[in-house]
Amino acid sequence: MILNLLLLHLFVCALLAAGSRRLGRIGLLIGAVPPAAATVWAAGRLGASQPEAADLRWVNGLDLGLTFRVDAFVDVMTLIVSGIGALVFVYAYGYFSSRAAGVGRFATTLLAFSAAMLGLVWADSVWTLFIFWELTSITSFLLIGHKSTDRTALAAARRTLMITGAGGLVLLAGLLLITHSAGTTLISRLTPVSGTAATVGAVLVMIGAATKSAQIPFHVWLPGAMVAPTPVSAYLHSATMVKAGVVLVAVLGPALGGVASWQALGLAFGIASIIWGAIGALRHRDAKLILAWGTVSQLGMLITLFSAGTPKAILAAVALLVAHALFKGALFLVIGEIDVRAGTRNIDELGGLARSMPGAFSIAVLAGLSMAGVPPLLGFVAKEAAIEATLALDGPDRWAIAVGVIGGSVLTVAYTVRFLIGVFGRGPEIEPAPRRATMTLPAALLGVAGIAGYAALGPVNDVLRSAATRLSGTAEIAKLYRWPGLTPALGISLAVLVLGAIGGVVASRRHLRTPAPRGARWSDGSLDATLAFARAVTGRLQHGSLPVYLVTMTAAAILATIPFLSHLGLEHLYRWHAPPQAILAVTIVAAALAVASVGTRLGAGLALGAVGITIGAIFVIHGAPDLVLTQLLVETVIVVGFVLAFGRLSRRFPPVGLRWRAVRLAVAGLGGAAVVIGLIAASGDPAGAPPISEMVSGSVGEGGGRNVVNVILTDMRALDTVGEVVVLTIVAVGILALARAPANSGSSTP
Amino acid sequence: MIAARSAIIRLGIGAVNPFAVIVGCYLLFAGHNNPGGGFAAGLVFGAVFALRTISGLYRPAHGIAWVAVGALVVTAVVLMPLLWGDVLADQYVFSVEVPLLGLIKTGSALLFDIGVAAIVVGVILAVLDGLGAADLALDPPPPTRRSGRE
Repeated sequence: MILNLLLLHLFVCALLAAGSRRLGRIGLLIGAVPPAAATVWAAGRLGASQPEAADLRWVNGLDLGLTFRVDAFVDVMTLIVSGIGALVFVYAYGYFSSRAAGVGRFATTLLAFSAAMLGLVWADSVWTLFIFWELTSITSFLLIGHKSTDRTALAAARRTLMITGAGGLVLLAGLLLITHSAGTTLISRLTPVSGTAATVGAVLVMIGAATKSAQIPFHVWLPGAMVAPTPVSAYLHSATMVKAGVVLVAVLGPALGGVASWQALGLAFGIASIIWGAIGALRHRDAKLILAWGTVSQLGMLITLFSAGTPKAILAAVALLVAHALFKGALFLVIGEIDVRAGTRNIDELGGLARSMPGAFSIAVLAGLSMAGVPPLLGFVAKEAAIEATLALDGPDRWAIAVGVIGGSVLTVAYTVRFLIGVFGRGPEIEPAPRRATMTLPAALLGVAGIAGYAALGPVNDVLRSAATRLSGTAEIAKLYRWPGLTPALGISLAVLVLGAIGGVVASRRHLRTPAPRGARWSDGSLDATLAFARAVTGRLQHGSLPVYLVTMTAAAILATIPFLSHLGLEHLYRWHAPPQAILAVTIVAAALAVASVGTRLGAGLALGAVGITIGAIFVIHGAPDLVLTQLLVETVIVVGFVLAFGRLSRRFPPVGLRWRAVRLAVAGLGGAAVVIGLIAASGDPAGAPPISEMVSGSVGEGGGRNVVNVILTDMRALDTVGEVVVLTIVAVGILALARAPANSGSSTP
Repeated sequence: MIAARSAIIRLGIGAVNPFAVIVGCYLLFAGHNNPGGGFAAGLVFGAVFALRTISGLYRPAHGIAWVAVGALVVTAVVLMPLLWGDVLADQYVFSVEVPLLGLIKTGSALLFDIGVAAIVVGVILAVLDGLGAADLALDPPPPTRRSGRE
């Protein structure tokens, strides 16, 4: 079923891509089908005791394959990813006007993201996870840059790709180290690791997760990403993609939780992000940016709780993960509707919407109260569990965590209040455009889900508990309470609400200065500087003189042979197999000297041909008919090439200055010596026995042919041949590009 | 080119042409058991096209299309086994009873070789294009061209 669902996504994706022009907005409704199917499947699996796995082997020898596994936690993630995905597709149908450009492309990319995100949460092999991780980065880049004429959108897309892409590389390095010390690539089989390599790996993985989940100081891409269409902001940049880092921290927690630096780094990222993100949310005036900074803060809360790693904290984190996806998704969808209908998202310009848009208002209040942690909503349950878990901690970092969680909660209440007052409170009256049902409905569903989850806390509790059990590895785990009773946590909660509400009202009265996007500028500036440096280096190195290129390449090859000097063993050199080899060798040397000394191009070409054909004769003596054949054919084709090229060139070689000639002689001589050294070293120091006999005996049976050389090329080492095919294809494309380039576009020296 | 003006070379190339194609086909099919294979066959076909070019005879254009087709064939042959649950680049061997020729043993490696040959031909055609063979093949060279004797 796992593979079938992924295939369904890919199939519909291809369908949308093929019909993107004709389908238009209808494509968005078609795109909702695969996520809806995945949602139904995941909902049916809830409570299943056995995880479902799927394995698609790809290259057996290298242990490559796509490996998936859906357990209780992954099931919950699937519901979030696909459920919200389906709703967002429907919402986007209302969001885009029927005349909007590029809607087909948008639907295709959004569905591709949906598939990639599913693959990411379903992955069991870390390599599968990594591939889908990168795919979500790429689709996110494409979706942020959807308005390809908007320069800010393109800059934001580039910034996102750079930061999440760099994070992906860091993650790759970390995963390599961890899988190496754990001895398995399957997440479900990872056991607690220790040692230096594991520590370094854990730190790298945490950094990679932090880039994806927009943690301080890698958060600079997330506010910029808000230029994307609102369905993208709701789906990728609040509900799902930014959770990828959190998910990674969660599923690797059992294996890496014992590494001290993993936990310390996670707590540092998390607590800093909680506080700084919430402060950012209090300072901005664009409603979408307020929500984006709030997301940074909430993601910090999730990372903090997962890093703390006690069963209670993990349960609280899972509850918050679900609650956040619901309320933040709903809030983004409402803001998108306001943006479309009122024409602005600036809280200074919005006003009177509580009366003129009652539907949006009630959804926003419902979702906002859940975000603030007010009963009777799911957000309250999550926040209560988080505070409870914090109070139950021990150890030296409990105070830091307490400051983060409780302080962050106060600030969250404050920015929620400011958000609601700013968007719906008094201000210039706006007459919104007519309502679109497809926009209101998904937002309403997400908003109501918060209260429904609270009402049906019994079953929700079971689902979240089994998910948390999977993550914490222990069965005895806390329970979520609808109403905790008169506990210290409830007292703290009430204090948080009162303090936060006062703070929010005060903040909305005062005109806080909107901060300049300094982080974004800094990251763009460093990227531009890198590009400028690359251009300068390229300008120096790619000057267009062929002889200089040749000299450079040969010199590099000479340097590469230096390590072999210590491996030279002259004892197994012998004169010849058969006396004719000596004659051939003399001929080759003479012909090579002729190539270097002849003044005409035609003569040099002929002498070069003599060298090649004599080498072919040596192959004959060694009994390698395949090589002879290839060598002779290549020589023939080269001669024809020379004939063609000579029509365009002067008959004699151009004169060369004395000093330049000396340089060329030296490089050529050393190059020849380097080849000899490399050959002697290679033949004198074989690493293990050559696998020749095995190949010869396996040739007829496995490859079905008696010509071992060909069987090696087409069967045993077919992947190598594919690699060569790729090289040839690239060469052909390169030649085509060169041939089509204008003749004198640059300052090419002869 | 010189060759274009010389009737002897032109006729000679025309006469050798069919035999060269036969040799190429032989190399392609024989490659699995005897010396030969896709690369060698592609070189022979490529040499035929190159000779035709310098003698001003017709040759196919668009080397890049040959490369593309060849690359697709090779990729398909390599990926195909995955559809049947086998490993990447697994090989299938068939035996076919053909009238007159008797039992012929062949396999997916032959398709692979055909793809490689197409790519080699395509690269040679692309090189010919890149060297400006299109206008070299024109019969009388324009008088303004640099003859190389200046």
